[in-house]
Amino acid sequence: MARCLFILIIILLLFTLHVSSEEEFTEELLFRPLPDRKVLSHFHFESKVPPTTVYGHHHRLFPKAIYQLVHKYRIKEMELSFTQGRWNYDSWGGFDPISSSNAKPPGVELWAVFDVPPDQVDTSWKNLTHTLSGLFCASINFLESSTTYSAPDWSFRSLSGNLRYGSLPREAVCTENLTPWLKLLPCRDKSGLSSLMNRPSIYSGFYHSQRLHLTSDEFDPVALHGIVLEQTLTIVIQPDALETHAAFSSSRKLQPSWSMSSLFGKTVDGKCALAKSSNVYVQLEGGLVYNMKDTWNNIEGNDGEIVQEVPYEVSPDRMMKEINSFHKDGYSILYGFSINNYHSSKPFDLGFWWKLPVTWSCVKAPLRVSRFLMGSGNEKGAIALSLQSTEWSQSLLKADNNIEKCNLRMYVDGISQSLGDIIEKMSVSPSEDKVSPGVMEMVLRLPCDMKSASLTLEFDKGFLHIDEYPPDANQGFDIPSAIISYPDFQTRLQYKLDNASIKSPMVSKMQERRTILSYTEVLLVPLTTPDFSMPYNVITITCTVFALYFGSLLNALRRRVGEEERLLKSKDKSTGKLQLLLSKMFAKLRGKPWEPPSTPPPPSSSSKFISSKVILKIILIAAIAFGWQYYDG
Amino acid sequence: MTNRSINNVLSRSILTTVIITLLLSSSILHFSDAAASSSMHTNNWAVLVCTSRFWFNYRHMANTLSLYRTVKRLGIPDERIILMLADDMACNARNKYPAQVFNNENHRLNLYGDNVEVDYRGYEVTVENFLRVLTGRHENAVPRSKRLLSDEGSHILLYMTGHGGDEFLKFQDSEELQSHDLADAVKQMKEKRRFKELLIMVDTCQAATLFSQLHSPGVLAIGSSMKGENSYSHHLDSDVGVSVVDRFTFYTLAFFERLNMYDNASLSSLFSSFNPNLLLSTAYYRTDLYQEQVEKVPVTNFFGSVMKTIHTDSAYRAVSGKDRSRVKSDVSSAQSDDVDAQRMTGSDPERQVDHSDIKVVKGGGCPHADLWNAIVEKFQGVKNVDQIVNYGLVGMLTLVAVSTWQSS
Repeated sequence: MARCLFILIIILLLFTLHVSSEEEFTEELLFRPLPDRKVLSHFHFESKVPPTTVYGHHHRLFPKAIYQLVHKYRIKEMELSFTQGRWNYDSWGGFDPISSSNAKPPGVELWAVFDVPPDQVDTSWKNLTHTLSGLFCASINFLESSTTYSAPDWSFRSLSGNLRYGSLPREAVCTENLTPWLKLLPCRDKSGLSSLMNRPSIYSGFYHSQRLHLTSDEFDPVALHGIVLEQTLTIVIQPDALETHAAFSSSRKLQPSWSMSSLFGKTVDGKCALAKSSNVYVQLEGGLVYNMKDTWNNIEGNDGEIVQEVPYEVSPDRMMKEINSFHKDGYSILYGFSINNYHSSKPFDLGFWWKLPVTWSCVKAPLRVSRFLMGSGNEKGAIALSLQSTEWSQSLLKADNNIEKCNLRMYVDGISQSLGDIIEKMSVSPSEDKVSPGVMEMVLRLPCDMKSASLTLEFDKGFLHIDEYPPDANQGFDIPSAIISYPDFQTRLQYKLDNASIKSPMVSKMQERRTILSYTEVLLVPLTTPDFSMPYNVITITCTVFALYFGSLLNALRRRVGEEERLLKSKDKSTGKLQLLLSKMFAKLRGKPWEPPSTPPPPSSSSKFISSKVILKIILIAAIAFGWQYYDG
Repeated sequence: MTNRSINNVLSRSILTTVIITLLLSSSILHFSDAAASSSMHTNNWAVLVCTSRFWFNYRHMANTLSLYRTVKRLGIPDERIILMLADDMACNARNKYPAQVFNNENHRLNLYGDNVEVDYRGYEVTVENFLRVLTGRHENAVPRSKRLLSDEGSHILLYMTGHGGDEFLKFQDSEELQSHDLADAVKQMKEKRRFKELLIMVDTCQAATLFSQLHSPGVLAIGSSMKGENSYSHHLDSDVGVSVVDRFTFYTLAFFERLNMYDNASLSSLFSSFNPNLLLSTAYYRTDLYQEQVEKVPVTNFFGSVMKTIHTDSAYRAVSGKDRSRVKSDVSSAQSDDVDAQRMTGSDPERQVDHSDIKVVKGGGCPHADLWNAIVEKFQGVKNVDQIVNYGLVGMLTLVAVSTWQSS
C-alpha cells in the first residue's frame, strides 16, 4: 500500500513539473482606429514549444512542419512576410511597436539567422527558400540565386555574419499564401479569432501583411525558451460607416463607426479550445485620447470618463493606461476583452461607435523617407533618397540605409556632393553580373537643425542574358525597398498592467524595447527590352538569302544548255502521232489554226517498269492468249 | 463394415480432392494477386496547368481552377494535385472581387475558395518546370509538394489550357511546348513507370495537333478542337470585364456538375456530351493508345479518386492480408529498384539490343521478307528492263501453251 502511494506521488510530481513547461498557444486581436477613417486590425498568434532536451519530440499544438524546419536548417531566428499595399507612415504612424515591426515592404521579405558554420550558411539559405516555397505556395525559391539575397552588416539587426536577407517585391500575395499559414494554427480558421478571416474582406483592404516570426534557442548550450512561433496578420480596412445615433452623424468629419461584423462579415463564436488565452484589444492612441478629452470638455463641460464617450456593445474586461508616454500630451489606452465566455449561441461582436468628430495624428517616424527615380532614357539613371525631418526628429539622429539593387551598375560619386560631412560609415559592394546584388550601407549622423537631406546614386543600365528576361520584361524591373533603421530611437509602449496574472504575448511584445525600422517604396526601373522576335526574323531572312544564292548558283553550275536543247528536240520527235492527231482535231473543232505543241510533254514517270511499251506488249500477249483460247476452245 | 469402409474411403477421397482443389484455387488466387499487384490502380494524381499570363487571359485561370475544384470535389486531395497558374488573377489589382475568381457571370461559385493551394505560380510556370514535374527530374531541394510523386499504378489527369497552335502550346507568351516535347515527356514517364493510365485534356486552339506525336500505351487524349479550328470562350462577364470561361471547359464542367464521387458515368459519355454546335469546334479524342474500352471506364478513374475497397470478413485476415501485401509491395519496389539500377548502369547495352533487333529484321528472321528483298535487289540491279519483259512474255506464252495442251 505504501509503495503504491509512493509511486502515485512521484507521478504527481512529474505531472506538476511537466505543466510548468508546456506547449502554449495564445490568440489575440487588436483594433486601432486610424486618423484617416480607417481601422487597423492586427491578429497575433503565438505558439511555443519547450526545448527538445526537456520536452521531447512529440507535440500537441506546435506545428510539426516548423519544428522540422528549425531542426533541419538550424535556424536561430527567421522572419517571413507577405505584404500587399504600402504602409502609410505619415497617417498610420511609424514610431509605435506595431508599425515598426509590422510595416513591411510589398511582396515577400525573408531573413534568417542560421546556427551553422559560415561556409554552410548559403546552402542552408538555398534549401530553406525551397522548403518555404513549398510550404507557403509562393515562389520564394527565386531567392536562392545569389543575385537576390545579401548579408547586410550593420543596418539589419546587429547580428553576426550568419544572417541572410532577401526580398521579392513583385510576388503576389493571395489566399493560397494564407491557407498554409492558417494550417499552422491548431484551430486553423475553424474556431477562435482566426475564424474572422474572411478572404475577400482581407484582400480588399488597403494594406495587408502576413508575417511569421520564428525564434529558437534549441541549439544553444542552455536552451531556455525552445521555439517561439509568432504569426501576425495586419490589415488596414476602411469600414463602411454604420448607422450612428449621434447628433453629428451628418458631419463629414465624424469617423465611421464600425463593428467586427461590419469589417469582416463574421462574428467570433468563442475561443479556440486549444488556446491558453484569447483576447481582443482596442487601442486608442495618445493623441486620440488627448483630443477626445478636449472635445468632451468643450462641448459637455464634464470631465467624464472616455469610455462613456466611446461606447462598446460589450464592456471591456480591463483597461490599461500607458505610463512614461513618449507623447507629451496624452497617454495611450488599451481596452481588453476576454472572449472565454462566449460561444456559438452568444457570439462575440465588438462595436465601436463615434459620437463626436475627433481629429488627431499618429506618432510619426523620426524621418520621412522617400525614394524615387531620376533621369530618362535607357542608358543611365539615378536613384534619389530624400530624408525630411518630422516633428519628432529633434535630437541627434543616426540612420542606417540599406539599398539593394540588382542588374544595375551603380556609381556612388553623387553622394559626396550633397551629404559630405554626415556620413559616418559606408560600405558598398557593387553588383556583379550573375554573382551578387549591389548593396550599399551607410551610417548617417544628421545634425539636429536639419530640415531635409538628399542622396543621389547614379547607375548604368545593363543588359541581361536573353534567358534572364522575365516573360513580362516590358513592365520593368523592381528594386527592393531600402531599409532605414534608427539605432538611437527605441520604441516601447509601457502599460500599467492592472492584473499581472493575465499574460499577453502581444502586450509584452509592445513593452519590449525595439529599434525603429522603416521601409521605402519599391522602385520600378524600365530597362531596355530587346525585340525577342529579332533572332527569328534574322534567321528567316538569312535562310532566304542563302537559299536564293546557293539555289541559283547550283542551277547555273549544273545546267548544260546545249544538252537540254537536244533533249527537247528528241522529246518533240517522240511525241505520239495520236496526240498530234488529237490536237489537230481539237484545233479544227475550235476553228483555230493548229500549232505544234510548244511545251514538251512531262517526262515519263520514274518507274521504268510501266512504260507504254511494256503495257502494249502485255496487251498484245493477252490478246494472243485470248485468241488462242477462243480458237482452240 | 464394408459399407462403412467404402464410405470412409469415399469421404477421404472427397476430402483430399477438396483440399487439393482448395490449395490449387488458393495458389491460383495468389498468383493472380501477384500478377495484379504490378498494375493495380493505386492512386490518382492531377496536374492542372494554366499557361497564360496577363489579365485578359482570366478565362484560362478560371478554366484551370474549375477543374481544380471538380477533381477536389470528386476526391483527389490537395497533396496529389499539382496546380500551375501563370499569373495572379484573384488578387490582381484589376479584379473587382479580390480573392475571388468566377467562371460564370452569375457569380454563384467562388472558384478560389478558402483553401486553394497553388504549387507553381507566376514566373515558375515554364516549359522546363512543367517537364520536370512530369518526368520527376528535380533539384534535390525541391519540396515534395511541388513534385509529382506518382507510381506505376497511378492514374494521372493532365489538364492544360492556354493559347496554342499547330503542334504547340504557348507558355506565358514567351516559350512553347511542342507536341514532340510532350510525347517525349510522356514516353519518359512510361519508362520510369510513373503512371498506369494518363488522360491528357487540352483546351487550346488546334488542341488535337498537340497529341499527334504521342505513342506511349495507356494514354488517352481529349482536345477541344481539331487542326485548323479555334477554341472559343463561352461568355463575357461585364462586371469582371473579360471572358470568364472557355466553351470546351464550360461544357466539361456542365457534365461533371451532375456527377458525384460514386457515379459510374463512362468516359465515352463524357466524349459524347460534347456538341460541336455548342463548342463551335470539334472535340477530338484519341483512344488508340488506350487498351481498355472507353465505354466501360468511369470518368472517376481520372477525375476522382475512388479506390476499390476490398471487403474482409474478419479483422485477423485483414491484418495478415495487409502484412502480405506489404511484403509484396516491398518485393516489387525492390524489383523496380533493381530495374532502375539496371537502367541507370546499363543504358548502352539496351541500345545495342535495340540495334540488333533491327538487324534481325533485316537479316532474315522472316524467310519471305528475305526472298522478297533478294528479288527487289535483283530487280534494282538489272538495267535492261526490256529484256526482262521479253523473257517474261516468252515464259507466259509457253505457260499458256502448256496449259491449253493439258486441258485439251
